[in-house]
Amino acid sequence: MTDTVAEPARGAAPKGVAIRLGIPMLSAPAMILVALGLLLPLALMLRNSLNIYDPAELMISAFTLENYVKFFTDSFYQGVLWRTIWISALSTAICLIFGAPVAYFLARYVGDFAKRMLLIFILVPLLIGNAVRTSAWMLILNDHGVLAAILGFFGYEGELGLMYSAPGVVIGLVSVLLPFMIITLNSVFEAIDRNLEDAGLSLGANHVTIMRRIVLPLALPGILSGSVLCFILSMNAYATPVLIGGPTFHMMAPTVYQQIAKVMNWPFGAALSFILMAVTLCLTIWVSALVQRKYRKWSE
Amino acid sequence: MSGASANNTRWAYTLFSSLVIGFILLPLVFIVWMSFFSNKILSFPPQGYTLDWYTRAWELSDFRNGFFLSFRTSMIATLVALVLGLPASFALVRGRFAGRDLVNTLLMSPIVVPAIVGGSAIFVFFLEIEFLTGIQVAGSSLGLIMAHSLIALPWMIRLVTTSMISVNPSIEEAASSLGAGPLTIFFRITLPVIKPGVIAGSLFAFVNSFIDLEKSIFLVGPNSTTLQIALINYLEWNFDSTIGAVATVQISLITLLLLITDRYVKLSRAF
Repeated sequence: MTDTVAEPARGAAPKGVAIRLGIPMLSAPAMILVALGLLLPLALMLRNSLNIYDPAELMISAFTLENYVKFFTDSFYQGVLWRTIWISALSTAICLIFGAPVAYFLARYVGDFAKRMLLIFILVPLLIGNAVRTSAWMLILNDHGVLAAILGFFGYEGELGLMYSAPGVVIGLVSVLLPFMIITLNSVFEAIDRNLEDAGLSLGANHVTIMRRIVLPLALPGILSGSVLCFILSMNAYATPVLIGGPTFHMMAPTVYQQIAKVMNWPFGAALSFILMAVTLCLTIWVSALVQRKYRKWSE
Repeated sequence: MSGASANNTRWAYTLFSSLVIGFILLPLVFIVWMSFFSNKILSFPPQGYTLDWYTRAWELSDFRNGFFLSFRTSMIATLVALVLGLPASFALVRGRFAGRDLVNTLLMSPIVVPAIVGGSAIFVFFLEIEFLTGIQVAGSSLGLIMAHSLIALPWMIRLVTTSMISVNPSIEEAASSLGAGPLTIFFRITLPVIKPGVIAGSLFAFVNSFIDLEKSIFLVGPNSTTLQIALINYLEWNFDSTIGAVATVQISLITLLLLITDRYVKLSRAF
């Protein structure tokens, strides 16, 4: 009898130690997959970006910054980077302008069930995949497409010219980024105490004043993170610029693909990848710092 | 007076939001509609309606085989993500160890690293392995499955950990003090509670793997293209209602999966 009581107590100590040591190890298999499939290939790519491209041998081992210098001295590639940046900034701004009211609407004016349904409707276009979503936009935007037919019905006969153009690409990007913006901002607005707005209202402020003086300052960190998310995704966009922008509309991600998989210039493609990630990171840090300084002034 | 203006504000928001949500959804409505047009050359308005494009999409081996390859690859990737992700989630939620945040960040990194960059890196990595050992990985189903498991894994972990946080650890401790081993505790106590998270995580991982374009584009072989690659290859030379038929099938499948996912875990929490 005493034995059966004592036994779990005796066994408990070593088992406890085993569990404590064992628990972190449970993440090892997943870490191995990430290490083999992502971290190691990325490290290798960073190394490759210092090599020299050779059409016959693909790559000659070296230790040079030539590929990075090539990027920053070739006006073509700088143009690609600038185009990527302004297209992304513009798309993000449009998403903010159109997404914020929808997010606020969902947070304040819609019941639980309707909100859940609307959020699914907003998320479906995001999760049906870039290929299908972009082909749907091609159907709308091309010169014999839906938009042209609608405008033709109203007597407009000119060329639409939205395919293979910057406005077309921005429209395509906005449609895939809007769901991200709406979902991020929705949770931000929901976290703001509704009583604050009611207090403002009872003190005689109109809706615009309440938004500007109460909601906007409180939501600013969330607005920032939503915008950063959209900007990053847009900087890395591949399908939209390729399919709607066409072969002559160059943005960064398609250029990376071109260099790595078609030209097989791995060192330069690798350098392009790291320039893309570094520029995106620097810009988001810079904008975040700007907004936070402004935010601090505001709250003082 | 103030009631009337509040009402106006409400109407303004409703109208504006309907237009924006319409903008997001309308392309899909049109592409589904277009899949039933009988016009030989795509144009508006439709001359009549037919189901022929669905038969044609099925007869094109690229689409048919692409669908099955995508389905199979995503199934296996989801299984891999499940087998690796469940223990990892357990470690992240229950473990108290140095570097846990780092492990979490690294396990989420496949979402953070741009898809094209991740795809480039793994493509070059596979080719370098081939040069060194002669084993072909890029263009093989092994390489494709590995890349897709990597896409599925972070979504699985994200949804499983969120639901695991809600499990009260004292229940597990109680079971442990009553002599249950870690495996018994996991299968008899933790798993039943986190089941919604596991189901939602699996479905979400499957969807994200199924729709992947940017990583697969580097890894598909000449005779084994996934559905998404088959779609953009077709789009390069054609634009007819066959695209609409394939898109409609994919939209239906994914909408269904998302509706099921949402029953278990609020979909907006996945982001």
